[in-house]
Amino acid sequence: MKQNAHFQDADAFYEQLLDAHEGLNREQAELFNARLILLLANQVGDARVLKECIDAARQLPQGAGMGVGVE
Amino acid sequence: MNGTASTYTATAHTNGYEFTGGSGYDLPEYPFLPPPELQGGPTARHPVVIVGAGITGLTLACSLARLGVRALLIDEDNTVGVKGASSRGICYTQKSLEIFERLGIYPRIEAKGVQWSVGRTFAGTDEVYSFDLRQQGSFHLSRQPPFINIQQFYIEGFLVERIRELGGVELRWQNRLVAFEQNPEFATLSVETPAGRYQIEAEHVIDATGSHSPLRQWLQVPFDSRRGDDRWCIADVRFSKHPPVERHTWIEAPFNEGRAVWQHLMADEVWRLDYQMAPNADPEEVSREDVVRERLARQFGSDVEVEIVWVGPYAYRSECVHALRHGRVFLMGDSAKVVSPFGARGGNTGVADADNLAWKLAAVLKGKADPLLLDSYNDERLEAAQQNVCVTNRTARFLRPADGTERLFRQAAIGLAKQYPFARSLINTGRMAVANPYSHSSACTYAPGSAAGQSVQNVRFAWADGTRGCINDLLDWTAGDLLVLVFGDLSPAALQRLRRLCLDAPVRSVQVLGPEAVAQAQEHVRDPQGHLQGACHVFGHAWALVRPDGYLAATGESVNGHLVSAIERSLGLRGEAT
Repeated sequence: MKQNAHFQDADAFYEQLLDAHEGLNREQAELFNARLILLLANQVGDARVLKECIDAARQLPQGAGMGVGVE
Repeated sequence: MNGTASTYTATAHTNGYEFTGGSGYDLPEYPFLPPPELQGGPTARHPVVIVGAGITGLTLACSLARLGVRALLIDEDNTVGVKGASSRGICYTQKSLEIFERLGIYPRIEAKGVQWSVGRTFAGTDEVYSFDLRQQGSFHLSRQPPFINIQQFYIEGFLVERIRELGGVELRWQNRLVAFEQNPEFATLSVETPAGRYQIEAEHVIDATGSHSPLRQWLQVPFDSRRGDDRWCIADVRFSKHPPVERHTWIEAPFNEGRAVWQHLMADEVWRLDYQMAPNADPEEVSREDVVRERLARQFGSDVEVEIVWVGPYAYRSECVHALRHGRVFLMGDSAKVVSPFGARGGNTGVADADNLAWKLAAVLKGKADPLLLDSYNDERLEAAQQNVCVTNRTARFLRPADGTERLFRQAAIGLAKQYPFARSLINTGRMAVANPYSHSSACTYAPGSAAGQSVQNVRFAWADGTRGCINDLLDWTAGDLLVLVFGDLSPAALQRLRRLCLDAPVRSVQVLGPEAVAQAQEHVRDPQGHLQGACHVFGHAWALVRPDGYLAATGESVNGHLVSAIERSLGLRGEAT
């Protein structure tokens, strides 16, 4: 799993990602995210990398509870 | 998004001063002198009238004075700073500092301001990101540092004094523009003063009046606009604490109820502390002295002695006009675009706008360039304005995410940034201003592999006698003409063609040589470390056409027709874009 930045343009991607959510309700947003994850996973392909990504996503930084908002 | 949201309530905006407080600064005051028009003089027609003596208008006025162009600058106030509120910009980029060096005020800025290159971003108590600009890219190659922090009014005051020193540009204080009309040849301006009202005519009007431009309203200039509910409150303070001279930003500061905080040093040992408030916070409440002191105590402890120099609550909006030229009127600085303060893309953009138009106006007014060249101001600076609006809007969206998905993604990004380096690139507390490149200007000649349209840093080289020089020294020498740098040895025919070109066109050429090579042109410099070559993005035998604003108009290999047509294009003699 790559740990260093590999984005060509991180800010532009982030903006596109948020733009894509505009006007979606919660359910639609969740479905969109699920579809996007599957699309991106297919771009990655490598089974070992995908497993590492899933493991990394489950492992929250210390002090942050799953599902607890920032505020 | 065009127009304004109906739920928006008017708040003091970036330049607001309604609820400002603090002991303030002593600002210079400039005398009102009754203009000759009010003493029976005829209505004069000026080649250039600049409206607004902020950092943008003054930079243009000073640039024109340096290039020997007569101009008139009018301002409704009698001082620098906004009506005595005296804060606004603090952070000046390398490109702006290079421009100020050409104008002759850089030594004063360097002496007064604070240099910095390290920035750190925190989420909660964790540092998630840091940078040192001196280690990044080529910042260290310029004679100017990556950034200097200094209160904006100091630069404005230096410019006023420099303009007086240079002469040729008249400054009229307490002269307010109250009406305007134009025809294809000239504009007529009505100006109100304490001694009465008068009219002047102008061939070129520069609107540098800022974010509440009356000209933009009168001309009904179309623009895009975006505004939100994010509210901030600045406290400029002196205190017994001495934090590091670094740019510190918190996305979620534990001492500010989990909201953002900015911390930065500027001149006179004054710290700029900028606190994000709750959405739609009441500006009067958040700027009350006891509330400000409580906020400072939460960050620095209650035992720290604090002198409050200035307090200013603000909201921000972003705006961008669709065109910078409207008949005889050129919009620049905040008249052309308004951005949030993140990344120092407001004032620095205004300085670059002024630097861009100054040499073009000078070349046209002296008959060295075609008036069509002035349209390239729109090509180049509108692209820069749009880019800066886009970049600052992204930062604003990161700092004040909409509830729901936007906040969720920010939470994910911050968490990942604490664990993995890649996610730091998603943390956006401001992308620092750069010299914006021009990718589709009618005055630049683009070719594959060429860096045309990019800024050339003020790098060092050696004069023929071995002493050190910089690009700015060469731009001083060209005095508003174009500069052709020719790298490597020249055939006799190429040398002859260059001499011809310099006789026929407003161009001066300099041969750039390695440490040992034999010079063929009388005007030559040495580039032992290849910094000039690197700054122009050329390799081996090549030429680079550098404009008076330090931008590359074109590059090429042989001294041939390509160079001739590039020179013509950068003088507005070939209107079509490439």
